[in-house]
Amino acid sequence: MTISAEPRHGLGSRLAALARVVDLGQGRVDPELLDESTQLLLRAGNRLKLSPDHTVVALAGGTGSGKSSLFNSVSGLELSPTGVRRPTTARTHACVWGLEGAAPLLDWLQIQWRHRFARASALDKGESQLHGLILLDLPDHDSIRALTDTEADRLITAADLIVWVLDPQKYADAATHRRYVTELAGHDAVTVFVLNQIDRLSPEDQAICVADLEELLAREGVANPKVVATSASTGKGIDSLKAVLAESVSMRRAGYLRLEADLDKLMVRVAKDMPEMLRVEPAVDGARRAGLTDALCDAVGAPAVGEAIENVYGVRSVDWVGWPYARWAAALGRDPLKNLRLGDVKEDIRALVSGSVQAQPAEVDNAVQALADGLSQGMPEIWQDSLRDAARSRAGQLPTVLTDELGEIAPPLDRVPFWWWLAKIWQYLLVLLFVAGLAAFGAILAYGVFDAGEPPVKLLGEVSVLPWVGLMMASVLGLGLLTAVASRNFIVLAAGKERDRLERDMRRRVATVAQELVLEPVERELQRYNDYHEALNTARY
Amino acid sequence: MKSAANKSSGPDHDEGGPSDATPEGASTGDGETPEPVINPAAVSAARAKTLPAQEGRRPESAWAHLSVSAAADEDPGQAADTPADDHDDDPVAQDATDEDQTAATDESADTTSEAEEPDSEQPEDAEPEEAPAPKGGAFTEEKLPEAVSSALTDALAQLREAVTGLHFGLDIPGADEARKAQAAVLTQIDDYVIPRVHMSTAPALIVVAGSTGAGKSTLVNTLAAQRVSATGVRRPTTGTPVLACHPDDGDWFTKGDLLGGLTRLDRPREGTGQDSIVIAPTERLPQGVALLDTPDIDSVVEEHHQIAHRMLDAADLWVFVTTAARYADAPSWGLLRLAKERNARLVIVLSRVPAKSRDVIVKHFARMLDEYGLGEVERFIINETEVRDGRLPDDQVTELRMWLAELSVDDQRRTQAVQTTLNGVLNSFRNRVPALARHLETQVALRADLRSDVDAAFMGALAEIDEATRNGSLLRGEVLARWQDFAGSGDLMRTLQLRRASKAGQHGPERLRALKSALHTGLESVITSAAQRAAEDVVTRWRQRAGAGDRLAALPGLGRPSEEAARRTARMVTSWQDHVTELVRTEGVTKRSVAKLVSFDVQSLALIFTVGLLGYGTTDVSVGSGNSALPQRLLRGLLGAESLRSISAKARSDLRARIGLLFDDETLRYVDALDSAGIPDEAAATRLYQATYNLEVAR
Repeated sequence: MTISAEPRHGLGSRLAALARVVDLGQGRVDPELLDESTQLLLRAGNRLKLSPDHTVVALAGGTGSGKSSLFNSVSGLELSPTGVRRPTTARTHACVWGLEGAAPLLDWLQIQWRHRFARASALDKGESQLHGLILLDLPDHDSIRALTDTEADRLITAADLIVWVLDPQKYADAATHRRYVTELAGHDAVTVFVLNQIDRLSPEDQAICVADLEELLAREGVANPKVVATSASTGKGIDSLKAVLAESVSMRRAGYLRLEADLDKLMVRVAKDMPEMLRVEPAVDGARRAGLTDALCDAVGAPAVGEAIENVYGVRSVDWVGWPYARWAAALGRDPLKNLRLGDVKEDIRALVSGSVQAQPAEVDNAVQALADGLSQGMPEIWQDSLRDAARSRAGQLPTVLTDELGEIAPPLDRVPFWWWLAKIWQYLLVLLFVAGLAAFGAILAYGVFDAGEPPVKLLGEVSVLPWVGLMMASVLGLGLLTAVASRNFIVLAAGKERDRLERDMRRRVATVAQELVLEPVERELQRYNDYHEALNTARY
Repeated sequence: MKSAANKSSGPDHDEGGPSDATPEGASTGDGETPEPVINPAAVSAARAKTLPAQEGRRPESAWAHLSVSAAADEDPGQAADTPADDHDDDPVAQDATDEDQTAATDESADTTSEAEEPDSEQPEDAEPEEAPAPKGGAFTEEKLPEAVSSALTDALAQLREAVTGLHFGLDIPGADEARKAQAAVLTQIDDYVIPRVHMSTAPALIVVAGSTGAGKSTLVNTLAAQRVSATGVRRPTTGTPVLACHPDDGDWFTKGDLLGGLTRLDRPREGTGQDSIVIAPTERLPQGVALLDTPDIDSVVEEHHQIAHRMLDAADLWVFVTTAARYADAPSWGLLRLAKERNARLVIVLSRVPAKSRDVIVKHFARMLDEYGLGEVERFIINETEVRDGRLPDDQVTELRMWLAELSVDDQRRTQAVQTTLNGVLNSFRNRVPALARHLETQVALRADLRSDVDAAFMGALAEIDEATRNGSLLRGEVLARWQDFAGSGDLMRTLQLRRASKAGQHGPERLRALKSALHTGLESVITSAAQRAAEDVVTRWRQRAGAGDRLAALPGLGRPSEEAARRTARMVTSWQDHVTELVRTEGVTKRSVAKLVSFDVQSLALIFTVGLLGYGTTDVSVGSGNSALPQRLLRGLLGAESLRSISAKARSDLRARIGLLFDDETLRYVDALDSAGIPDEAAATRLYQATYNLEVAR
């Protein structure tokens, strides 16, 4: 095990971060990218589990470029059939230097048993530096057969090191460059380009050709292309190729470098539209909370409810604690509404007033929307949507819950406090007293002044009592009026207090409900936003 | 006009100071020096002046000048390398090289067009339909009958117009292909079909196409027996098409309409690329056939594929070149399939075949061709040999040369080949044009779908508002509290008794205003919320439409109501409230019996009416029934059932109309987004079908 700890650690934690990105990005990232990420995680997991001592090198290229010939040249044996018919190789052949531990890897690569060959390195002197090499001879990717066969694609994706076998005729084919080389432009650490069949060119032409290929690769973004000119038929350049392979095999890092390059490439795409704002405040600030509570209070009509209580109590209390004489006087007047035959309007009003507080769904909706809009400023569109959805996730229940909660604390407008009864009884008592006084006054007047007859009680004949009775009656009336005014004032005062208390209570309840049903899901989503971008950052570098 | 000026001094002159148009020395070898573009107009002007001077001149010698100087341009040492079995003209050419080269090259542009008819003075500005074959006697006049030709011309013009007018604005899957197909059809009509229909007997254009590195240029060079097209190890090699033809046919290609959109050059040049073609006359090619060397169909330079396909679209015969290493490549078979689809006359050249495995490869290739149904196609095999100076040994192409010669001599056979390909192309329009029409129809249908998505979303929102104003959900929250306040505090009764208690309502206006503004806010928020949902709904629906929909949905800001929506809504609600007040004032004539007893405040009554309408969901039914809600009973008592019903209906329909108007403004944003992608013309598809049909009839 010559693997240094550092790259594995780096790659490991990056892959772990990628797993988190996939997890957190569900529904917020292009599903195709998530799919690719999952595949990469799977592949990385498998490859890192399987023999780290082996380096999988794939010989890839178009039909007729001489992959099989090169394969045979490097292995020194006629393992893969070569031919003039195109395409020749349909199944991947593998040659292993150092067999121990390679079988599971070959199984994973899905190389058929009959196409596996081993070079027992002990027998080959001077080839020990290739120990650990698994050389794959891939089918072509550009013939008509390849249109229906993805084996080459699969193995090009899975290999640790890719050797592109090109030839002077085909080195600039779009089939190779557009689909693979440009795509794998960042993979130059694990890519080697072989210009095979170099024997077909004159020495000057060879130089031109190699230079042209290098230029082409540079244009495609391959930073430091490793180009080896070989000829499988004359053996020229095979040793250089072997040296390149041996270096890679002895380093035992091609697998990691490959995965890292894959990860780099993927992350560029995942992080393509990363916003400026990588971190948002995970907690909703006080001003926004207050704003939401205000808006929800408005949706419930809390201020209006308070005012209504104050007013309605004031008006209704007149029936109870008011001065009865005033009421009777008012009732004497003709009520024009009676002529309209409207039925009992007062009853209706009473029924209306007895209705309890209810939240207005549309306003609740808009309040939640406004919160989400404010918080998601500067986020990418998809996260704006997800934040809004989070804010709404439980907001459907909000009108009902608010209605229930506030219905509990808001007193019904038609309630009658006990002391209203007492006041009413007191007022009627006073009325009775007044009536009694009136009777006494009349009796004294009759018996004492007009001598209507023998007074039943002596006192009733006493004229001198008359002023006192009058005084008493006046004070009873005055007492009633005074009580009415005092009670009324008291009720208004109490209603004012009640209103204050109620508004406070409602606000508190609304805030609690908002916290539970809106702010908590929102804050979870904000946290998720932060976590996602943190994981994304980790996975990127 | 430079050539005209040069020309006027006489063809056999000694050019004084070498004109910058013909830097003979400088252009030797690399071909990077700018050369004058052959301008047909200038050329014909020149001819008009100089024809008399040409009278006594032998065309052969002029052509000797030309061919040699062209060869010398490429490679001065080439003459020495010319294989022994080259044409008899060569010695003449050799001599000519020593002559005044400047003059020869100077003429090269002009002679191309002149030498072609040194003795036959045919009118050049004849009508296209009756334009004669460039050289009398060389071709049999096989023009289409006049009537058919003009009908066909009209039909083609109609088709061309119909195809030109197409616009595929939505980026749905297949739109790119459709745009390309549209361009290809147009180019083919211009480049090939119209010229070919006008002059069916013009020289046959044989296009040599194939993979990069297959040896197309080498083949053309060999057949032309001179280096007309650059060869090399760099891939891709050829970027500008090179047309090699017999000098007598030169005029047809230099000035004709075939590939008319391309600039004519007399040598390849840097940076010309797409819109030019090099015309290289050569004696070694027989008359009546021209070889066109094309860029590849499969290299990394995608521009080349386009040029190659454009050339193939203009071809009378296709020569497909592939190699022993390449014959199984997918792009090659793509091209063969295309040839088969078009029913184009096809010849296959299998090149670079190693001698030792020739039989195996040839057999295998033949079997593959058989499997693809191309077993009948004429085939030529070229062995892998050393390429010298961009040419193959001549014995490798003997068969091909024979074939060309036969084609040249046998007019009937050539005409037949030309007709076959032309028919194939015209037949292909039967499928290609309706395919465009179908794509257009898809676009129109998708656009209609996207449009109806918008409508459906906003209709949904309208229904939502309707529901909210009927089921009493508006009479909640602040509206309810204010209404309770208004009714419970006695203001309600007081407003009805204004006459008696004139000083009533000290609190009145305040509560009235509060209730009014609560109603305003409530209604506004119902509309805003519905508009928000509708906007989201549109985006959701659009996202589900493949291709164009999700791209349009991604436009910023479409997922929420517009900036002005809130302001507009507020204004709209206010004006509706005013309207209701006005309605109550004008239409709510109090019953006579009531008027004697009470008067009422219009403002309050309108408000009560609004509460009844929106909060309790006044419907015509409930107005009549006995146990209706308080506002209705009051209003019915005051105004009478009939009057109330009419006001209700008016107020509600007015509200709906106003919201509809508001939503129309919102809808406009989506329609604009759709329109920005271009409005497909629905009639265009019909025109295409019609044009295709007319073409069939005209043929």
